[in-house]
Amino acid sequence: MSIIEVNHLTKRFGDFYSIQNVHLQIPQGEVFGFLGPNGAGKSTTIRHLMGFLQPTEGYCSIKGLNCRESTAAIQQFVGYLPGEIAFIDKMTGKQFIHFIAKLRGVSDFTRAEELMHYFELDASGLIKKMSKGMKQKVGLVCAFMHQPEIVILDEPTSGLDPLMQTKFIEFILAEKDKGTTIFMSSHMIEEVEKTCDRVAIINAGKIVAIETIADLKKRKSKKYMIEFQDEQELTRFFDEKYVLEQISSTKVVITITGDLQAFLQSLANYKIMDLDVISQSLEDIFMHYYERGGTES
Amino acid sequence: MNFTLFKHELFASLKLFAIIIGVLLLYIVSVIYMYNPEMTDMLKKFTETMPEMMAAFGMSSIGDTLIEFLSTYLYGFLLMILPLVFTIMLANKLIMGYIDNGSMAYLIATPNTRFKIALTQALFLIVSIFTLLAVTTLVMIVFEKLLFPNELDLTALLLLNCGLFLLHFAISGFCFLISCSSKDLRTSYAYSAGIPIVFYLIEALSNMGGSLDKLQYFTIYTLFDSDKLIHQDSSSWWMMGALLLIGLLCYSLAIRFFVKRDLHL
Repeated sequence: MSIIEVNHLTKRFGDFYSIQNVHLQIPQGEVFGFLGPNGAGKSTTIRHLMGFLQPTEGYCSIKGLNCRESTAAIQQFVGYLPGEIAFIDKMTGKQFIHFIAKLRGVSDFTRAEELMHYFELDASGLIKKMSKGMKQKVGLVCAFMHQPEIVILDEPTSGLDPLMQTKFIEFILAEKDKGTTIFMSSHMIEEVEKTCDRVAIINAGKIVAIETIADLKKRKSKKYMIEFQDEQELTRFFDEKYVLEQISSTKVVITITGDLQAFLQSLANYKIMDLDVISQSLEDIFMHYYERGGTES
Repeated sequence: MNFTLFKHELFASLKLFAIIIGVLLLYIVSVIYMYNPEMTDMLKKFTETMPEMMAAFGMSSIGDTLIEFLSTYLYGFLLMILPLVFTIMLANKLIMGYIDNGSMAYLIATPNTRFKIALTQALFLIVSIFTLLAVTTLVMIVFEKLLFPNELDLTALLLLNCGLFLLHFAISGFCFLISCSSKDLRTSYAYSAGIPIVFYLIEALSNMGGSLDKLQYFTIYTLFDSDKLIHQDSSSWWMMGALLLIGLLCYSLAIRFFVKRDLHL
């Protein structure tokens, strides 16, 4: 049974469709990535899950509870990190965390302390004076301190430095082992690739693909950059039947999807200066979806 | 109601409260102190030389009793405007302030319904205004007792302040409604400050008499009539009732609006 359900959700502002017929089902314990460029409708979908917005059509539910009607009940077991970094400025980080904990009725701060320690957050200063990354950490502590079963994160790593991003990925994987269901939006391919089981790609308000990360990875083709000794060697190589792209007088990039052995054997007949593997990122795959979605609308 | 949020608001608005009440008390004490028959004669001359000007600020009839003197000098301007400033600032901060800077997301991402959050903020606003006027009333009573023990008309004073509270209750309800239903903080400030001020100006114009008198039907301030309250005129009861009703209506509409509205957080 799916724990988070977005059922044919449409939100219209005037004549503009912010999201259109978004349909997602997320089973318990899954880490689900929600990818898309800026303004694609990621945050709008999440706001519906939080009950902030009234759907024009469709509905969403968490654990069978309607997100618009049972907000208080849902928030008992949900943690949320807003996409916009905003706090009550006149408070220190610690005061804010304690304030939110008390609003939740949580009086045990051990988990909050653990999280602050893990994310190396010194929350004793005024939030107003904190850097973007520190504010984001305050938000993360607020989202996780009550040990929620389900966590909804809107661009969780924005503002974090690369070191912290790595720590965050490890943290998400640990939460996943605990069985936490995580729904996170992102435009960072790397964190999604490392943490998620499945991803949905949204563009211009419409879901363009839902795939497992494993499937996406399989589809990655390998590319090699080869530098020949001189131009004659390169022209000789043109006779071989490969999909290639010339990038300079002596360099080509070849895409190999089939037999690697045959390719290497044929290469042995040429004088080669350099051979480099260009790892194709998921980004390239996503770009394809983004463009397709863009032309459809 | 959520007590944690209520307590937070209490500490967060202490400074504003202290400033407003400080200025208010300073003026009130000086005005009470100023009261003496000779002074009244001089002010009466003022009124004779430029009646329209004085009337605009509700200072047309300088009474002979202390309470009439106070109602002329405090309830025409100072006790209208200062609590209004307090109301506007607080009402906007309590709801739209959180929506506009985005921190409302954290408040409603806790297991508290929007209804509960809005109700807490509404109650806080009402309690704050009540406290402000209660302290004011108390200080008035104490100083009148100290300075002019024979002139104190307690019933009239209490009734006058009761009416004043209901007036500010109604206006705060309106400001709260604007705060709950506007799209951003600027619009919210513009309407919640602009409309009561326009009402006040209409009241000022209608006080100048003549054909402008008809304007009194277009402003909420007409429902607070200090003369009628002091003399316990029967019409002052339905006026107070009307203010109470307007306030309750505005507050319930405001909460309903906030529960139903779209929040882009």
